[in-house]
Amino acid sequence: MSAETDGQVPAAEQHSRRSGPLVAVTRWLENLGETAFAYLLLTPVFLLLGSIALYPLLRTFELSLYANVLGAGEPEFVGFQNYVEMFTGARNADFPGSTTFLPATETSSSFPFIHVDGWLRSALIVTLLFTVVSVFFETIIGFGQALVLDQEFRGRRWVRAAIIIPWAIPIVIQGMIFYLMFHPSTGFLTPYLSSIGLVAGTNTLNDPWSALLIVTVADIWKTSAFMALLILAGLQSIDRSLYDVAKVAGATKWQQFKMITFPLVLPAGGIAILFRTIDAMRIYGLIDSVSSCTVVPSLSCMVVETFNTARGLSSAVAFVTAAIIGLLVTIVIIQQVREGI
Amino acid sequence: MATQTEQQTGSDEQNLGPLQQWTQGVLSDQEKQQRLYRALFYVAAIFFLVTTLFPFYWLLVLALTPNSAILGGDWSLPVIGLEFPHPQGFNVVAFVEVFQQVPFHLYVFNSFVLAVTTTIIVIAVASLAGYVFGRLDFPGRGPLLLGILVVSYFPPAAFLIPLFDAFLGNAVVLPFVGIELFEPPRLVNTPGAMIMPFSALFLPLSIFILMTFYSQIPDGLEDAARVEGTTRLGALVRVIMPLSAPGVATAAVLTFIAVYNEYFFSEIMALENVPQNWSPLVGGILSYQDQYTTDFNLMAAASIVGVLPMLILVIVAQEKIVSGLTAGALKE
Repeated sequence: MSAETDGQVPAAEQHSRRSGPLVAVTRWLENLGETAFAYLLLTPVFLLLGSIALYPLLRTFELSLYANVLGAGEPEFVGFQNYVEMFTGARNADFPGSTTFLPATETSSSFPFIHVDGWLRSALIVTLLFTVVSVFFETIIGFGQALVLDQEFRGRRWVRAAIIIPWAIPIVIQGMIFYLMFHPSTGFLTPYLSSIGLVAGTNTLNDPWSALLIVTVADIWKTSAFMALLILAGLQSIDRSLYDVAKVAGATKWQQFKMITFPLVLPAGGIAILFRTIDAMRIYGLIDSVSSCTVVPSLSCMVVETFNTARGLSSAVAFVTAAIIGLLVTIVIIQQVREGI
Repeated sequence: MATQTEQQTGSDEQNLGPLQQWTQGVLSDQEKQQRLYRALFYVAAIFFLVTTLFPFYWLLVLALTPNSAILGGDWSLPVIGLEFPHPQGFNVVAFVEVFQQVPFHLYVFNSFVLAVTTTIIVIAVASLAGYVFGRLDFPGRGPLLLGILVVSYFPPAAFLIPLFDAFLGNAVVLPFVGIELFEPPRLVNTPGAMIMPFSALFLPLSIFILMTFYSQIPDGLEDAARVEGTTRLGALVRVIMPLSAPGVATAAVLTFIAVYNEYFFSEIMALENVPQNWSPLVGGILSYQDQYTTDFNLMAAASIVGVLPMLILVIVAQEKIVSGLTAGALKE
C-alpha cells in the first residue's frame, strides 16, 4: 500500500518532514476521491451490519428450507415444506409446551385466541392483538402526555422526567414490576381485578388471557412516553402564530385543537405509530419475564422456544416474522423515498 | 372548582339545571373557560404522574416490607382500615441481602462493561458513518442510508439462529452457495457474543443522530482546519466531533440505555444465568424469579438496585434523551 502511495505522490512525500508507513497511509487517504473515501469510512458499518444482520437474515431463510437436522450430517432440502406445515399446524408437536398448552385450551372455550389450533396461528393472533391494542392505547395516552408537556408550568422538567422514566427502565425490571403487581401472592390488585372478571383470580400469570392483558398494560405503561416525546416534537414544531390568528377569529380551545393541533401533529403521530408498531411486533422479553412463552406465545417467542430443537421450523417462523415486519418497513421506505432522503 | 362555578352562575340563571348553567357559563365566559382548561390540565398531569410512578412506589413498598408480611397479604392501613399498599416495616436489610443471595453486583458490573464497550464501538463506527452521510456527497448515499434504516427494524429473532450457530463456534457458511468461509471462535458465554449483536442493532440510531449533528457544522470550520494542515479524519476528530459534543453525548446516552435495557440477546447468549458467563442484569433479576421464587421483597429490592442507574441517567441527561429520540425518529 505504501509503495503505491510513494509512486503516486512523490512530491508531497519529499516535502514532509515525517515519513514512514503511517504518514504514507495518511497521504493515501487524503488523496482518495470523495466517493472512495466515503466507502472506505463506511467499511466498519458494512462489516458489522453485514455479519450481524444481513448474513443471519439470508442464512435464516436458507435454513428454513431444510429439515430439522441438528449437529453433524447433511441436512435434507425440503423446500417450503416447513412453511406449509407451520401454517397447517402439522408440526405443533415440535413446539415445547404444546403438550400442556394445546389440550388444556382445546377443552376450554374461554381462551378464544388459542382455539384456532396450532402455535403459529396462536402466535400470530397474540402478536397482532398485542400490537394493535398496545399501540392504540399508547397513541392516545402519549398524545395526552404530550399535550400536558406542551404547556408552560413550574416543575415541567420534573414531570417530563417522571413520564420518561418508564421508557428508560430495563425490560426485565419492567417485567418484574408487573410480575410483582399481579402475582397472586403479592399483587394487591389481583383480587379486585378478578372480582370484576378482568383477570383470573388464581394462577393469574399462567392464564393466557390474563397474562396477555397484563403484558399489554405493562407495555403501554413503558412505551407511551416514547409516543409522547415524538408527538411533543410535532406539537412544538407548530407555528404558534396560527393560534393567535385562531384567537382573533374567536375560535375556542377545542376548535383550535380540532383545526390546528390535530391535523398538524398527524404526520409526526403517523411516524411514531409506525415505529411503535414495528417495535411491538418483536415482543419477547416482556412475555418471558412476566409470564412465559408457553402461556402467551408471540412470534419471537416461538423462534426462541424452538431454535434448539427444530431448527428448520424455527428458521421458518423467524423468516415469517421478519417478512411481516418487512412489509411494515416497506411502508416506511416508500414514505422516505417520497420525502427524498 | 366545578362546584364553585356552579354556585356563581346559579344566582343569575335560576331556570336552568346546574349542569346546563355551568356549561353556559363556561361557553360565555373566557375566564371560566381558562379555569376549566387549567383544571383539566392539572387532573391530567396528576393522573399521568400517578400512573407512571405508582409501579416504582409498589417496588419500594415490597422491598421495605418483610417477606412474611408480604405473604400475609394484608395491605389495610393501620387506622382507617382501607386497603392501600404501604410499607409494613422498614426492612432495609433486603438491600443487603440482594447481594448476598445472588452476586447481584457482578451481574450489574457485567451490564456496565457490555454497555460501555458497545457504546465506544458504536460511537466510533457511527462517527465515521455520520461524517460520511452528513458531510459527503457520493453516489449510492440514499440507498445505503435506507439499507441501514431497514436493518434496524428487523426483529432480533430473525438473526438469532445463524448468529447463535456462529457464536457456538460452528463454521460460517455463505448462504445458498455452501462455501465455508471460516470457523469463528466460540463466543457464547463471553462479552463478544453480546457486544457484536448490540453494536449492530443499536448502530443505526447513532448514525442518524450523529449524521444530523455533523451536517450542521459549517463547512468553513472544517476547511479552516484543513488549511492548517489537518487531514479529513483529523478534522473529524479535532473539529467536528468536539463541536458536536452534545450530539455525541446524546448518541452515547441512548446506546448505553439501550444496551443496559436489552433483553433478547442478553438472556440467550449467556447459556446459564451466572455472572461467570457474562450474564448481565437480565440474568441477575431472572435468577431471583427462578430460584428464590417466594422472596418477593428481594425481587423488588433487586429491581430497585437495577433501575437506579437509569433513574440517575434520565434525571441528568433528560434533554439529551428527548432530543436524541426525536431526532433519531423524525429526521431519519
